[in-house]
Amino acid sequence: MKKLLVLTTLVVLGVFTTVVSAQSLTKMPREDTLVLGWSITSPIGATNPWASTGYTHQEGNSMLWEGLSYFGIYKDTEIPWLADSMKYTKSDFTQLTIKVNPMAKWSDGTPVTSADVLFTFEGQMQNNKLPYHASFNQYVGTMTATDALTVVVDFKIPAPRFKFEVLTLKFDTGMPIVPKHVLSKVDNVGEFFGGNEMAHSGPYNLVLWDANQKIYDLNTNWWAVKAGRISMPEVKRVIVFNIGGQVGQGMDIVAQRVVKNEFDATLDMRSSVIGNILKRNSKVTTHTGNKPPYGYLDWWPNSLWVNTKMEPYDDQRVRRAISLAINRDLINEMVYEGAKVATIYPFPLYPGLKKFAASSAVKSLEAKYQPGLYDPDQSEALMKQAGFSKNSRGLWERNGKTISAVIHGFEGIHSDIVPILVEMLKNAGFDGDINFGTDAYQSMADGKPGMYMFGHGASLKNPYAALELYHSRYSTAIGTSAGNNRFSRYKNSEYDKVLDEMAPMGSDNPRFEALAAKALGMYWKEQIDIPIIQWLHRIPYNQTYWNNWPTQSNVSLGMNGAFWHHTGMLVVSTLKQAN
Amino acid sequence: MLFVLKRLSFIFMVVWAASTITFFIPRISDVNPIRERFAELARLGGFAPGDLEKIVEAYNKSFGLDKPLWTQYFDYMSGVIRLDFGVSLNKFPKTVLMLIAESLPWTIGLLLVTTIFSFIIGNLMGALAAWPQSPRWVRSFSTSCILFQGIPPVLLAIFLILFFGLHLGIFPIAGAYTIGSIPELSLDFILDVIWHQIMPGMALVFGSLGTWVLSMRGMGITIQGEDYVLFAEHKGLSPMVIFRDYYLRNALLPQVTGLALALANVITSAIVVESIFGLPGVGTILINAIRANDFLVIYGIVLFLTIAVAILMALVELLYPLLDPRIKVE
Amino acid sequence: MYNYLRRNLSLAIGLGLLLMLVLFTANGLFTIDVKDAYPLSVRPKQPPSFKYLFGTDFFGRDLYAAMVVGVWQTALIGLIAGAAGTLIGIFLGFVSAYFGGIVDAIIKFICQMLTPIPPFLIQVIIASSIDKRDVTILTMATVVFLLSWMAPTLVIRAQVLSMRERQFVDVAKLSGMNNFEIIFKEILPNLIPFIAAAFVAQVFYAVFAAFYLAVIGLGPLREPLLGNTIWAAQSQSAFFNGWWWWPMGPALAMVFILGSLALINMGLDEMANPRIRSKE
Repeated sequence: MKKLLVLTTLVVLGVFTTVVSAQSLTKMPREDTLVLGWSITSPIGATNPWASTGYTHQEGNSMLWEGLSYFGIYKDTEIPWLADSMKYTKSDFTQLTIKVNPMAKWSDGTPVTSADVLFTFEGQMQNNKLPYHASFNQYVGTMTATDALTVVVDFKIPAPRFKFEVLTLKFDTGMPIVPKHVLSKVDNVGEFFGGNEMAHSGPYNLVLWDANQKIYDLNTNWWAVKAGRISMPEVKRVIVFNIGGQVGQGMDIVAQRVVKNEFDATLDMRSSVIGNILKRNSKVTTHTGNKPPYGYLDWWPNSLWVNTKMEPYDDQRVRRAISLAINRDLINEMVYEGAKVATIYPFPLYPGLKKFAASSAVKSLEAKYQPGLYDPDQSEALMKQAGFSKNSRGLWERNGKTISAVIHGFEGIHSDIVPILVEMLKNAGFDGDINFGTDAYQSMADGKPGMYMFGHGASLKNPYAALELYHSRYSTAIGTSAGNNRFSRYKNSEYDKVLDEMAPMGSDNPRFEALAAKALGMYWKEQIDIPIIQWLHRIPYNQTYWNNWPTQSNVSLGMNGAFWHHTGMLVVSTLKQAN
Repeated sequence: MLFVLKRLSFIFMVVWAASTITFFIPRISDVNPIRERFAELARLGGFAPGDLEKIVEAYNKSFGLDKPLWTQYFDYMSGVIRLDFGVSLNKFPKTVLMLIAESLPWTIGLLLVTTIFSFIIGNLMGALAAWPQSPRWVRSFSTSCILFQGIPPVLLAIFLILFFGLHLGIFPIAGAYTIGSIPELSLDFILDVIWHQIMPGMALVFGSLGTWVLSMRGMGITIQGEDYVLFAEHKGLSPMVIFRDYYLRNALLPQVTGLALALANVITSAIVVESIFGLPGVGTILINAIRANDFLVIYGIVLFLTIAVAILMALVELLYPLLDPRIKVE
Repeated sequence: MYNYLRRNLSLAIGLGLLLMLVLFTANGLFTIDVKDAYPLSVRPKQPPSFKYLFGTDFFGRDLYAAMVVGVWQTALIGLIAGAAGTLIGIFLGFVSAYFGGIVDAIIKFICQMLTPIPPFLIQVIIASSIDKRDVTILTMATVVFLLSWMAPTLVIRAQVLSMRERQFVDVAKLSGMNNFEIIFKEILPNLIPFIAAAFVAQVFYAVFAAFYLAVIGLGPLREPLLGNTIWAAQSQSAFFNGWWWWPMGPALAMVFILGSLALINMGLDEMANPRIRSKE
């Protein structure tokens, strides 16, 4: 009885609070409103970036929280934001000086100062539940606020890429700055929701959040306009509408709603779907306009990872044989309508990396190791060499065991590519099957038998971060968990030597490039994992109400057009009304 | 009084059974909901914290997940008795009760209306199907309703969207209300919400009609042979009166007991229908929790449902003697 | 028999549909190459034509082959789970009713206790918790009948109870038959209509549950189960992309299968209940 009473009260209260709190909202014309579609899964009210695990910046909160600087990937430039500058003040990359913009303010009028920056940094240092805790503890020695606008960070070891990886907001990485005057008063930051009223520095205020939508209204006192960073945004209201379900499900209904101009942008789509949207609504465009591949490259190129510590994947011949069984041209034809999406690299082909891949050193290694080759005969020969023979079902077997080629993946994003890979592997004699179950990620982390369809999410400008994923320090023993992205557990001291030499060097050092090429060559020779596809974000940009979306032809500030990334704030703030 | 006590203890036992079964099943898989949350974010953006495993460990410790399973079981049970259903590990710091409370309004309306509608329409059709005086077309129509049973609500939902939503453009194809509507206690908004529930409602109603028609028809035929109906006929009462007072009323009684169980089954169909139509109800929360193995939320929702159904069943049994004076409470 | 079928229309139509399905599947299994039911076999995304009766899907499956194999696998699940559920129901129902006493009380109590638990929900939870490599036709059937045996148990129990009191049992006892003989020679034959009805209901329930699990993506994903095909079509936005034939075929097949089972169930109900029989 009591439970029922409590529950009923909660339900009634729940309905009432949403109803009551929303009544102060004004109606806004559609031409001033930006409507975005997303599957909102974070709990209602979680606006505090330190409220892990529930908080995410992806569902509109990127418009609340800003960083010291942003990165425009397509212009390959840094966009200074809360900080006027961040400079390495020692040539061996052991000291960083940050200067905060004097006009930066929180939405409640309090100025943003070095105290907030220091508070944010110290939080990451001390709180072992925050995402950059490990990075701070690995690199940072001491931090001081020398005056109200300056922070000096001294590193324990040279950290040439710390500023870019940790302090710059781009895609989904980087650390926003949080308000000291709010969070220092809270007992347990992990349990503090934040709510709609939490002071933030971004251009929009969260005015409504219920189970169906999040509504943000423009803050006309936004500091960045007065500071000259950007002109006043034309979007007066942003609605992030919950399309329900899991991210990636039910996309045909979402596609319909885009065609009907109910949504201005949504999460990204499959190749065939976006093509049809463009056919039915001429006002919708994509990053590449009306041409394939209808999207921009994301930093998450996928490979089939394997646990290189476990039999039989520990044999380089087996890994190579698997790669030889993958027909990358057929993948392009069947899944991507001919667009060249299949890849041989563990990093995305952004300007900096494209240059690297086209360099003569890398090209000659590519010719030598032929990473993209499709040759079922050679595959067979290698497997026989490794001691396998085909059993009655046509599968490779050794000592009575077949080679598990169960591909662990995620239904929402891999449902088109994985079944095809499984069939290719099965045709080549590997015991293939699909696992889109809830244990897929866990299996990858635990290093279970099979192959893991996962991305690399590491390199953006130079190949170091991606290559570093295969360093022996991440080669954890079988039975323990590998961290995210480090599923290969590869162990090779030669490889480590190359990477360790690269670590303290600046990325434009010619010796750095030569070493990177050498490491990539080793990656190909050893076939540490099997690179499959570049990852595309095919986001529909509906220009009926808003244009000036960042595209290939309209580079804008250099950011990609995903509204859910940290740089989404810049995307929304630069949109212009269509008429 | 004894009866009430017996019923209460029965409910208690049912709840205990349900919670024990659901407790251990999600633990078979060693999927960790905290790691899954990071995986979810990683898949979308490719980013996850540097030392993911250490973070997961830190969370495990603070939630007591490193204790042996039996200890966790007893901790959980004692929490339940104190009405503490715990927090969602996947969506920390939201509590399980809050998650249910926020999503319940969107499910209750739909389910309640749907179950009542299909109960009324289904039983009426079933009764008419067995009534010899009803016209031929009514009887064969009712029989074809049984074929509807074969169309799972899932498929129905898809076809309804295609036909009524897209082709004819009458109904909205998804969402709980129009984008940008501001939730308030106005007639406009309430009508908007109801308009958006029509198609999901139709999908659920058509799917569950069949069972009612079938069972009611069986009931009806049995009753027709009863003496009191023959007597009423001989008395010369009009067919309308016989149909309503003697036939329908008596046939309906046993059906009411099935109502509670029907509610339980509609909930599972609601899971899929809600995700097709993008309604943020309990079904969506549950399926998300299952995918992330957020077991505390799973327990909470299953418990909640079982308690609701068990209470409903007990209520029905309690009210039954009021409807049918022939039954005496033992 | 034929005359009876003419009067019991639902049974007739139901059996007819079932026969059609059986012929379709049997003919199919002998004429198709099973490999075609799996991806990368034929040209993808083709609409129905003479060559591909049901068209092909995004992954390159021949949907005709996929349908044949799918119907056969669905039938397997239905039969296995249905049989298991019914057998358990018969055994427990008998034991409970015939021997009575504390055994009866325990079995009845467990059945009643488990009834309010939403079965589909538990199935979804179980199906998502087990290791995906273990999800096969067999495990799906197991998951499905785990929570379905309570209903037939209670029905059989009720019938056996009523029969126990009837005179022919006493007569049999007087004439010296022991328990086993009474069960097999006297009671069982009278229960056949109920058992048949329970079996059909169980098969219906099993097929429905398996379909439901497959449609939300919890089935053995590579197999062309009807629910799997619809799930795959949904995740590739088949309708939006204009590949309407992809989910249509399995949807129609599913409607026929479940519809025929429902009609047969209704027909058997009539056979079991003599009152209904006389009215139609």
